[in-house]
Amino acid sequence: MSDTNALCPRCAHEAIEHIFDSPVPGVWEVLQCGRCLYMWRTSEPARRTRRDAYPAEFMVTPEDIGTAPEVPAVPPLRTSAA
Amino acid sequence: MPYDDFRGFLQALRQEGQLLHITDEVMPEPDIAAAANAAPRLGDHAPALYFDNVKGFTDARIALNVHGSWANHALALGLPKETGTKEQVEEFIRRWDTFPVAPEWRENPLWAENTLEGEDADIFRVLPLIRLNDGDGGFYLDKAAVVSKDPADPGNSGKQNVGIYRIEVKGRRTLAIQPVPMHDIAQHLHTAEERGEDLPVAITLGNEPVISIVASTPMEYEQNEYELAGALRGAPAPLARAPLTGLPVPWGSEVVIEGVIEGRKREIEGPFGEFTGHYSGGRNMPVIRVDRISYRTDPVFEHLYLGMPWTEVDYLIAANTCVPLYKQLRRDFPEVQAVNAMYTHGLVVIVSTKKRYGGFAKAVGMRVLTTPHGLGYAATVIVVDEDVDPFNLPQVMWALSTKMNPAGDLVQIPNLPVLELAPQAVTPGITDKLIIDATTPVAPDSRGNYGTQVRDLPEAGEWLARLRKLAGTR
Repeated sequence: MSDTNALCPRCAHEAIEHIFDSPVPGVWEVLQCGRCLYMWRTSEPARRTRRDAYPAEFMVTPEDIGTAPEVPAVPPLRTSAA
Repeated sequence: MPYDDFRGFLQALRQEGQLLHITDEVMPEPDIAAAANAAPRLGDHAPALYFDNVKGFTDARIALNVHGSWANHALALGLPKETGTKEQVEEFIRRWDTFPVAPEWRENPLWAENTLEGEDADIFRVLPLIRLNDGDGGFYLDKAAVVSKDPADPGNSGKQNVGIYRIEVKGRRTLAIQPVPMHDIAQHLHTAEERGEDLPVAITLGNEPVISIVASTPMEYEQNEYELAGALRGAPAPLARAPLTGLPVPWGSEVVIEGVIEGRKREIEGPFGEFTGHYSGGRNMPVIRVDRISYRTDPVFEHLYLGMPWTEVDYLIAANTCVPLYKQLRRDFPEVQAVNAMYTHGLVVIVSTKKRYGGFAKAVGMRVLTTPHGLGYAATVIVVDEDVDPFNLPQVMWALSTKMNPAGDLVQIPNLPVLELAPQAVTPGITDKLIIDATTPVAPDSRGNYGTQVRDLPEAGEWLARLRKLAGTR
């Protein structure tokens, strides 16, 4: 039942990693996108698991990832003389 | 009587009729979050929810909405479940007067029964993780008390921190954390990262209910959360040392996850439906490496739903946001009568105060903005007269209706700090803030045509008690 060939619902990336199987075999899997790191369970509603049903307001592009702000900002390294 | 572990409180909730056990099989998503979303809509006596029949899991135990009503909040503090909101805040203030109460070190912590280490420290093997809102980037831990030390002063227990922060599960042994710059753990991480070091953390889940309250209280940097827990409990908080990091953690936690925030590393995180009732955008945030998980046999996973207010988080951060602001204002201004900072962690703050002289109420409002919590919150401060109850919103609206003249009572201060999650800011982290003076002007401020205010009749109080009694015996 693996969906690892599916597209990431959020960013349409094709490399999907399998993270965890349901303790009751074959009920669901937890998957993760290798690019935007979206993680979901295959038994969730289509609006969370299928690219063609995923809400536009939650979609992510590579540009979004590249321009995401850093929170909190990494401070400069303190030199030993300081 | 204080609770020493999470299960003791669940039992008390059950006995009080405040825990709803859902025995039907449910889907992990969307059922559990949807139920927790709906539960607070049942009103001020909404119950906690307990699920143990979750499709695909063999032994999941998930509790939500544990603090999600005024009745449950009262029980968490050992008060009768009928205790009113303002009375709970007043009792919180009285107990804070006994702060600090030193913690108690106990042997044989409950979480020491089972351990996963190194590559085996897989969070999916311990917790039945569930997703909350549709736009969330993944699974979250949002009710864990995270313990850390100041790397520049690790022996100082005042500077240690116990706080609830949003934590995303990024992999089997990888988490992300949101250290909002206004919060104490961000100072710890800043110091560690300046030194090029990792920051050790212990993430504790399934705690007795007062730990969750103190971990979400905006205390001052050098105030110790466990010492406040002792004051609120009326008994020392039982602690034990986490085995890998040596960090002080609650003795009775269901699960203790240890690891480090990896210094100088950021990675894409989120979005997450936040306490503001809005999703935060995706941001690059710090990453936690999990090295060890300790847990009770058959752990109960405590989770929290948050969304369009009010949800559980609003009850959790209501009283405990009012009280430190009240304490800090009273140090300088004993005229302050009460503080209501229950809305969105104090993004709006309502203060009632006596006035020494004209302009005093505006000065009290400005002091709110410069408290440690006010720096990151308090986008709007409403100041009302001493006879207006800030917890009685119809009275506050009456004050706004009749005591406030925009010509002289709105003070807008540009470009002050606010937490980056506040959605109203044009540039995240910076916003104008507003003080609304809804008090009656006093000399030498002679604005308005107030004449004399109508007061309750002297006999009204007696009649109120009489009417309550009569109504109660019908």
